[in-house]
Amino acid sequence: MAEWSQMPEDLLEFIARRLDTQFDVLRFRSVCSSWRSSVAPSPSPSRRGQFPILPSDGISDAAREFRLSRRTIFLLGVPRSRDETFACGWLVKVKEDVPRSTNLLNPLSRCPFTSLPEDFPRVLDLMNLRVLELGHEYVLQDMGYRPFGNDGHLHMKKVVFLCLDSGNDFALLTIHVSGQLAMFKSGEKRWSIIQDMPSPYDDVILFKGEFYAVDGTGRTVVVGLDLGVTLIAQSNWGGGKKFLVESVGELLLVNMYLRFRRERTVRFKVYKLDREKKEWNEVKDLGDRVLFLGDDCTFSASAADLRTCKGNRIFIADNREVERALRSPGIGVYDMKSGIIGPLEDDEGCSRLFWPPPDWIASRTSEVQNQLETLVV
Amino acid sequence: MRYLALPLLSQNLTESTARAQTLSLYLQLSLQVSLSQRNESTMSSSSSSLPSCPKKVVTLKSSEGETFEIEEIAALQSKTLENMIDENCADTPIPLPNIKGKILAKVVEYCNKHAEVGVDAESLRAWDAEFVNVENTTVFDYILAANFLEIPTLLDLTCQSVADMIKGKTPAEIEKTFNIKSAFTPEEEEQVRRENQWAFE
Repeated sequence: MAEWSQMPEDLLEFIARRLDTQFDVLRFRSVCSSWRSSVAPSPSPSRRGQFPILPSDGISDAAREFRLSRRTIFLLGVPRSRDETFACGWLVKVKEDVPRSTNLLNPLSRCPFTSLPEDFPRVLDLMNLRVLELGHEYVLQDMGYRPFGNDGHLHMKKVVFLCLDSGNDFALLTIHVSGQLAMFKSGEKRWSIIQDMPSPYDDVILFKGEFYAVDGTGRTVVVGLDLGVTLIAQSNWGGGKKFLVESVGELLLVNMYLRFRRERTVRFKVYKLDREKKEWNEVKDLGDRVLFLGDDCTFSASAADLRTCKGNRIFIADNREVERALRSPGIGVYDMKSGIIGPLEDDEGCSRLFWPPPDWIASRTSEVQNQLETLVV
Repeated sequence: MRYLALPLLSQNLTESTARAQTLSLYLQLSLQVSLSQRNESTMSSSSSSLPSCPKKVVTLKSSEGETFEIEEIAALQSKTLENMIDENCADTPIPLPNIKGKILAKVVEYCNKHAEVGVDAESLRAWDAEFVNVENTTVFDYILAANFLEIPTLLDLTCQSVADMIKGKTPAEIEKTFNIKSAFTPEEEEQVRRENQWAFE
């Protein structure tokens, strides 16, 4: 009889090291005593989302100092059971700046949710919820900026973060207002601007432990910690805004461009990387995958996990062109097959992913919890 | 201290002691055999104490006494076997008293497959995926065997497949999948409860 709780600790650690998200490590440590003691929880402050104050030298004349804030995007769901009325998943973005206190944010924008509903639990018990960690976002907050008591964001473009081996050191990459890339390494006094820029950069991403950046023409590079730039894919196109997103371990490029037919609309094309030829090749069908393109982060999920949403779709948020095309603010949902984009509100299944929270959250009484426990397959 | 339950050796033996004991047992046996072989040999002495005769096939013996043949080149994927083969090359089967025949057969199959030449990466990956597509109690045995025999690729493959089974599951689901009885001290219980919740302001 296989006694998994009796497996030698070094082997348990081997297994735990192959879990890709911190949340899965947390779950691993919640199974039994021996599993718990075989893996340390994330020890370093960087990994916990607590960062030192960052300088603004080299990147901004206006701001004094920056605070780095880390948010995590989660997909919450109920374990599969025979009773499918509990089906709908819930996408949230969580900010854990203050230990033990969690803030919920709209996953695809910088705004917090309007106040939580009254029957929303003060404490959300995750023990019997499926939790998938989909990605992180990092935001630089100007410490001197305090408009109307808001969160005080400087309109920086996307920031990506790399934790260096030691755990305490890290590197950041962002796009400067000039369109150039800027890098900061912990311990340094200023940001370094990377001179290489045939064309302004559109997006950056951390992929398989390396920084990737793409410019408006589709030219894609890997940025090393020595500020060196390696070409990964050549330019292909002129127009459109480029996004980089990871899906099932692959790097995808999404190009958003305008179409003027009968009316102004927005279209998307998705590409997969051919490393050998240094090219991006079009992908016509995403299958089960759904891509999410937000202000400060991009992530993907499987429609099977989202449950109320069909695959082969792209969600895009807070984008002026999209809002113009839809004539409404907020999130747009693009159907890859039909080539049509519509507001989130029009798609009943998809809109349930965001707000309001699904029924099974509000009714998290111990009675319901017991019921769910017996339904776990 | 890590413990491995070995039915034929004494209780509470550590991994490295088990390996050392097995190696020593093997060496003693093969030394005796090679000594008697040398006595019978009519070859003129070349005065080398350990003749390095190239051996093509190695025999492994499971805990139940079943024997399995494996090509030396395939066996070299196991650091443990490599050490044993280097030390001596007599004909005696290498005893592996903590690996069952059923598992040893599969480990041999794995090593043979990975020693093959001209297999493209794609089909090897598919073969590997099939290899671990078994009951997790079997994967458990594979992990212990891969660890004991020090086969890094097999250890990697099996541990990754377990990690994949854990991803996204609730603790209760993990316990059910692996048939684990969750047992925490009251302090741990409290910590676990707190870690698995979000408190909103």
